This record gives sequence, C-alpha cells and structure tokens, in this order.
Amino acid sequence: MEIIKIKYSKDNIIKQSEEVQRCFKCSACSIFCPVTLNVSRYTLEDAFISQLYGAEESKTLKDVWMCCNCEKCIMSCPQDGEPAEVFTNLKQLSYQRGLAPDSVYALAKQVLNTGIAYETGAKVNADRKKMGLKELSANENVSKELRIIAERTAFKTEVA
Amino acid sequence: MTKYLFFKGCTIPAKLPNVEKLALDILPEIGIELQEEEQFSCCPDPVQLEGANHYFWLAVAARNLAIAEEKGMDIMTLCNGCLNTLAVTNAKLQKSAELKAAVNNVLKEIGKEYKGTVKVKHLMQVIKEDIGYENLKSKVKKPLHGLKVASHPGCHLLMPDEVLKYDDPTDPQEYDKFVSALGATAVDYITKVDCCGVALNLVGDKEANNKCIANKLLDIKNHTGAHILSTGCPFCFTQFDMGQIMASRDYPELKDSKIPVIYAVELLGLAMGKSLDEIGYKTHRIKPEIKVWEVM
Repeated sequence: MEIIKIKYSKDNIIKQSEEVQRCFKCSACSIFCPVTLNVSRYTLEDAFISQLYGAEESKTLKDVWMCCNCEKCIMSCPQDGEPAEVFTNLKQLSYQRGLAPDSVYALAKQVLNTGIAYETGAKVNADRKKMGLKELSANENVSKELRIIAERTAFKTEVA
Repeated sequence: MTKYLFFKGCTIPAKLPNVEKLALDILPEIGIELQEEEQFSCCPDPVQLEGANHYFWLAVAARNLAIAEEKGMDIMTLCNGCLNTLAVTNAKLQKSAELKAAVNNVLKEIGKEYKGTVKVKHLMQVIKEDIGYENLKSKVKKPLHGLKVASHPGCHLLMPDEVLKYDDPTDPQEYDKFVSALGATAVDYITKVDCCGVALNLVGDKEANNKCIANKLLDIKNHTGAHILSTGCPFCFTQFDMGQIMASRDYPELKDSKIPVIYAVELLGLAMGKSLDEIGYKTHRIKPEIKVWEVM
C-alpha cells in the first residue's frame, strides 16, 4: 500500500517522525480519543492528535500528557500510524525539558525512593492492619536496585 | 489448582486494600493459588513513567519479570496498568534481541537477568484461559440472578490486542461472559470501549475529566437499566467511583441515581457468597442505598 504523506511544518520534532508523516488528518483516530471527545478546544474536525502534530513544539510537549495511552488511535488509524507511540516518545522529550506536569516528577521520585508509586501513610496501614494485610512500606533493597537502574538509563527525577 | 506469583502493583495495596484481601481469600476457592512476593517494585505505569523514560520503564519491568523467572512462576495481576506494562515489556524483549541485550546490560548491575520465560496475565485472562467460564459457573455459591451489569474491561486490558490476546478491542465480550458465569446479566452499551480518561485527571483538566466520566455513566443510566458498572482496573475504578462525585457537580443528573462501581474481584466475591460488608463496599465513595441488591 502506498503511504500518503503530508508535511507538518511547524514542529521540528514532529517533522522528523516517519509515523507522523503518514497522517492525512482523516480523524479516524479521534472518534474514540478521550482527549478529543472531552477537551473543549478539540473537535473531530480539529482533533487532539492532528493539532499536536501541527502545533508549536512547546505546546505539543505540554499537552501530550493528556494522552491516556489507551491506543484507540492505533486501533483505528487507516494508515497504520501509531500516534500513541509517537506521544510516548514526545512525553520523554517533554520530561527531559521539564515540561511534564509536576506530578510526573513527584511520581518518579516516589518510585525511586520507595519502590512503590504512593506514599505509605499511617491511614493506609491502619486500614491494611484491620484487614489482616501486611504493612505497606518502602523496601530499601528494591529502591536501591531501582536507583541503580535509573543511573544506568540516565533517568533523573529533576531537570538540571 | 493453578498457581501464580501475585503482582499486586501499587494502586491496589495503597488505595483498594479490600480488593487485595478479597483476592487472597476467594481466588483459591475458584482454583487460583497466589504466592506473594516482596521484591517486586512498581510495574512502572504505562501512562506517565513509560513516557518519562522508556528505557527505565523497560528495565524496571524486566527486573520484575526476572524475579518471577527466578521463581519459575507465571505472574498474575489484578491491575490493567501492571498487566500492560509487564506483558508489553515481555513481548518487546522477546521480539528484539538487541533490546533484550541492552536491558540485560542494565540488569546485570543488580545481579539479574531477563530471559523471557514467564507469562503475565490479568485475573480476567486467568479466568478465561485457565479456569473457564463453565467451571467458574459451577463454583458459584450465590448466583447474582437479576443483577444487571455494565462491564468496562478498560483499555489496557484490550490493547495492544496482538500482545494481550484477551478480546476484540472494538467489541469486547469476554468480561460479559465472566459476568454471566456469576449468574448476573451483562448489558451492552454504546460507550463500552470508551476510555475512562485517567490522564485527563492526572493533568488536572477537571472539566474534561468530568465530561468523560459523565458520558459513560449517563449512557449506562439512560440506555441500559444496569444496576452497577464493573471493572477490573483500579484506575478505571477510581475514575468512575470517586470521579462520579466530582462529575455530578457539573452533571447534576448523575446525582439522582448513582451507579455503584464494583471491582471484578468484588463481583466474584458476592457470587461466592460474601456480603457487601465483606467485599469492602463501605470503602467505596459511591454506595447508594442498596436497592439494586434487592433484585438478587
């Protein structure tokens, strides 16, 4: 099958993506997209995915975190494009540039410090104790191993 | 008895401990034995941390898989997010020798190696593939006759379908078969495959998040006659349970008759004869007068 390509000129990151160049803005990806369907500034005619493909870089990198990675777009793209994959790569760039929501950096810190994604407060453990479940606490061995993995994969919890 | 290493994840132990407790109590009754494991970490999640750093995400997931490999046991989880991360990582590393070598280069620093020898399944897949719906039906102690259930399998249990192989992501039926095996009636509805919109919540877009939650709940309420919504994902659960309260501020019609959200394990618990108190209904945010339960 011949792939139809159109040029998205504004955004340098987006321009380099082979996946993005397959998009001809048919909006099939957006019929089930939770962002296009629910965020008021997007419509099926001017959808989240195609807007991000055509937006200025700073806007793209800020808004990309609305993507739920639900892969409805991958399911419905007639060009075999993979918008959710493109967005995962864009999230990484966004994270490195400090443009991700604060909650993502906080989550990264929490996971590296404790091995789990939530604080293990007294309330949680009181509930767990009542149910006869083991206490939820930071596991030093686990978090030590995760910090080594973070170092080896250049994963930082703060932007320099 | 089929035996699995229990990957609890983070959200269930921290936010829905009643689901963890119930799973440990009742899954043996349907033939699933769970072994707990202290060395697992966060999966990590496929929406935020996969985006933050792909290699970190892959390597941490591979570390969890390597722990199961050391034990020689397949993994079972109750969470769509954990399933997605671990099963997708498994598939990616099995497919690419290059990626596997890169990840193992990281894991050797902590004395671990990913080989690719274990399977990862969600409880819903274990029920479908190992237990079987007919077998499940024969174990039910209190069939949920009369209860109408709108199922929400959740996106990360359905996609990528070539990896998860659970159901048709455009017209899922397997969760409904589970519901039917418990004696309840599954209702079909047009927004069944719509995403719960969890990232809209994570970025703090309240207006969009409320709209997303209300869309599905109002579809269920206005078009199905369902008494409850049921899901096997802690993020979807929280969206529709806690989120229903928030959404009802923008959509007052949601206040008239709230739709309880019952976790897959909780629904199973009811069918195994547990009471609402015993499944932890008290811990839910949406717990209307139990008129709906009188139908059973």
